[in-house]
Amino acid sequence: MADRDSAELVQAALQHDDEAARELVRRLYPLIAKMVRSHRPRRTSEEDLCQMIFIKIFQKLSQFSGKVPLEHWVSRIAVNTCLNQIESEKVRPELRQADLSEEEQAVVENLEVSSEELAPDRQLASRQLVEHLLQMLKPVERVVIDLLYLQGRSVEEIHKITGMSVAAIKVRAFRARQRMKAQLEKIGAQTTS
Amino acid sequence: MKDVDLDRLLRSAARAKEETPVEMPFGFDTRVVALSRRNGNGALFGALLRRVAFVATAVIVLASAGAYFEFNRNGDVITAGNEFAIADSAIQDEVLP
Repeated sequence: MADRDSAELVQAALQHDDEAARELVRRLYPLIAKMVRSHRPRRTSEEDLCQMIFIKIFQKLSQFSGKVPLEHWVSRIAVNTCLNQIESEKVRPELRQADLSEEEQAVVENLEVSSEELAPDRQLASRQLVEHLLQMLKPVERVVIDLLYLQGRSVEEIHKITGMSVAAIKVRAFRARQRMKAQLEKIGAQTTS
Repeated sequence: MKDVDLDRLLRSAARAKEETPVEMPFGFDTRVVALSRRNGNGALFGALLRRVAFVATAVIVLASAGAYFEFNRNGDVITAGNEFAIADSAIQDEVLP
């Protein structure tokens, strides 16, 4: 079973081969879980969202033409499902200093006083701070920033995964960065005062 | 806050490792396949229902059209019947004292 490629598994799953379908789930789970962790709305559990995405994948499996890699096709379904879920949540209006942990506040201070790269022991706090900042953004902006900067994907890859145009990706990334900077400035002002 | 500061923050955040490994919950694959098959059966039932609804609509349209033409044809008969009745009445008026 391990030797079968994705296209074969898709065909077998379409012929009601349950073992092939389960193998497909096992193979795609790490990719889906990673996407869900990046774009999961706060009120939905990771497992529920993964399940929702897999059911959508199986519902649409007959539409998979094989012209694009299965991973891209699956990623697009995952991202769109996450976006739909995030849309149902309200964007938090503003981030305050009190919402941040001491470590996150230290990262903000460090950004203001130093121009050097953040120390490795600040990475987790940086991640948490960025996640806080992402919650201030619109769902599509959140996805763009995550894919572009946190997952290190290229604009072309994001275009393939999300279906957004290259121009839209760049515009959304620019706007999101502006908002994130404005939020960081506000927090920085609160920290220094 | 400059662009470079935000870039430093994003680079640092990107380097942070995921604290929990990506591991599929036990029985997740079986559950997903069973649910999708059940939904698939639901979709088949939905398709069957749509076909039945389509056939029923076609039958209703044909029956309505038939009834309409039948009604019109009966109308002609009734009209013709009335004409005969008038003629008959006129003849009787002429012939009978």
